Amino acid sequence: MVEYAVVAENLIKRFKDVVAVNDVSFKVERGEIFGLLGPNGAGKTTTIHILTTILKPTSGKAYVAGYDVVKEPAKVRSKIGIVFQDPSLDNQLTAYDNMFIHGRLYGLNGDALRNKIFELLEFVELKEFANKQVRYFSGGMRRRLEIARALLHQPDVLFLDEPTLGLDPQTRVRIWDYIMSVKKERNTTIVLTTHYMDEAEELCDRIAIMDKGKIIAEGTAEELKSMLGSEVIYVKVVNNASCVEANFIEKCVRVRENLLEVVVKDASTAIPKLFDVMTSKGLKIVEVSYRKPTLNEVFIHLTGRELRDALEESGRPHLGPRAWR
Amino acid sequence: MGFIKAFYVMVYRQVKRYVSARSRVLMTVVNPLIWVVFFGLGWSNVFNFPGATAIFGGLNYITYLASGMISMTIFMGSFISGVSVIWDKQFGFLKETLVAPAPRSAIILGRAFGDSVTTVIQGGMILALMFLIAPGLRVEGVIPALIYGLMLAMGFTSLGITLSLKFSSTEGFQMIVNLLTMPLLFMSGIFYPISNMPDWMKAVAYVNPLTYAVDGMRYWLTGVSNFNPLYDVALLAILTLALTALAVRTFEKATIED
Ligand SMILES: Nc1ncnc2c1ncn2[C@@H]1O[C@H](COP(=O)(O)OP(=O)(O)OP(=O)(O)O)[C@@H](O)[C@H]1O
Ligand SMILES: [Mg+2]
Repeated sequence: MVEYAVVAENLIKRFKDVVAVNDVSFKVERGEIFGLLGPNGAGKTTTIHILTTILKPTSGKAYVAGYDVVKEPAKVRSKIGIVFQDPSLDNQLTAYDNMFIHGRLYGLNGDALRNKIFELLEFVELKEFANKQVRYFSGGMRRRLEIARALLHQPDVLFLDEPTLGLDPQTRVRIWDYIMSVKKERNTTIVLTTHYMDEAEELCDRIAIMDKGKIIAEGTAEELKSMLGSEVIYVKVVNNASCVEANFIEKCVRVRENLLEVVVKDASTAIPKLFDVMTSKGLKIVEVSYRKPTLNEVFIHLTGRELRDALEESGRPHLGPRAWR
Repeated sequence: MGFIKAFYVMVYRQVKRYVSARSRVLMTVVNPLIWVVFFGLGWSNVFNFPGATAIFGGLNYITYLASGMISMTIFMGSFISGVSVIWDKQFGFLKETLVAPAPRSAIILGRAFGDSVTTVIQGGMILALMFLIAPGLRVEGVIPALIYGLMLAMGFTSLGITLSLKFSSTEGFQMIVNLLTMPLLFMSGIFYPISNMPDWMKAVAYVNPLTYAVDGMRYWLTGVSNFNPLYDVALLAILTLALTALAVRTFEKATIED
């Protein structure tokens, strides 16, 4: 029997006028990185808040690390770490103090805590800023500090709500690296939310696409994209091209005199076969490229909208860390 | 174990933040000074006639008023300190405490105690100044007065925390606090004796924790009191416990929806 780190069963969360989470169910295996991908207002944060015990579901059940989030919140809290979407640091205190307070709230103390703090600050490259007040930190530094803080008590399940929101590309990649190494080194189960397709693809073992409070599709990135079926291979040949036929080829179109568009189920296995077929026909290949459908196309396929458009239409503005007053 | 660690670290946090936010401190100290100087000196000339001290249990008015100023400082400072809960909501740190496995009671009691300690220190500073204005105050009463002050502070930081857990804007919270502060001050015996109040005011004064803190501290600082000093400390303790329990209960049930 597989032991699940997170189980959500028919979660519903109704606020006064909106149903933020509408019958959401999913399971996350231990050691997995599971992603909730969806546009603004999809209900990702609300789902995370229910799983982390700080919001009561209107109905439905959820278990994290084997404990019921409504009935045994204290047990759940001791097993999880979370990086909230919105900042949750104490700006008036130093990075060290933020870590220290967290450690004590999670029952750590003494030299062990101190060493752990410096080890983690080093991990997120903030060691030299340990005694600087957080209000002087940049957005990326704060984010890294929050990640370090969430790791301090070695959670079994780590929740990351939009871990790279509003960060520049270099910082995003750096944070991805941290996330991957946390999974590798500690086998931590990670549940993350994002509205970046590349992030979901890069990090997640499995992805649930969420829209308007519902999970509309779930699977690995490959599985989700194969919902659209085919992949397209573009083959450029030296001279005049003519279409080829084989059982693995769904469709072949000559788009230019030296360019073929070959539609297949799975390009990665089809390309070598295509080479064989074409050389046997005496066609000399100069260039091959293929396009996979992206998760964005999957989202269009499922909702008729672009993920990007959906982001704009729900227009809940995202402010950075709120300014003092 | 977890309880003590969480309690201690919240005290640490509140005190550390207090040290880095001095402007708030200044206002809560300046306020009582303004009262004692303008109100006190003004009225003390009015109550200058023979027999006037009888109204104030045998004290001259400035001593009567000065002995209440430590309560006023602690009351105002601790009540408004609940606003930091709203800041924590807005800046997000409250979530960090809501998701922590430490007992919520430890977190909120530590927080209330930390803020109480800082306001009692302010109260002590005011008290030191009062000795200059009213030399008749008794030095041996200082320690008991500070202990009463700590109870008073726990009561009103707890009330402030309870209220601010229910409010999402500092404006709303400050409005309620301001609305309550003045009446509670006037119905506490700081400025004039309870015995001379109309009955309806007396009724409020009897359930006002501040009344017993003022009377108890006045007993230690001047030897004069309206109630039996044992009643003072017992009633102050009971009312403080009730307010603290309310804060614990409210925080234990808190979600980010509040
Ligand atoms: N406390 C609340 N009260 C009322 N409505 C809320 C509350 N929190 C969230 N909502 C609403 O619930 C819906 C889902 O919000 P949620 O924050 O879960 O979305 P999200 O997927 O995290 O979006 P984003 O990408 O913007 O973070 C939105 O319509 C939002 O306005
Ligand atoms: Mg969100």
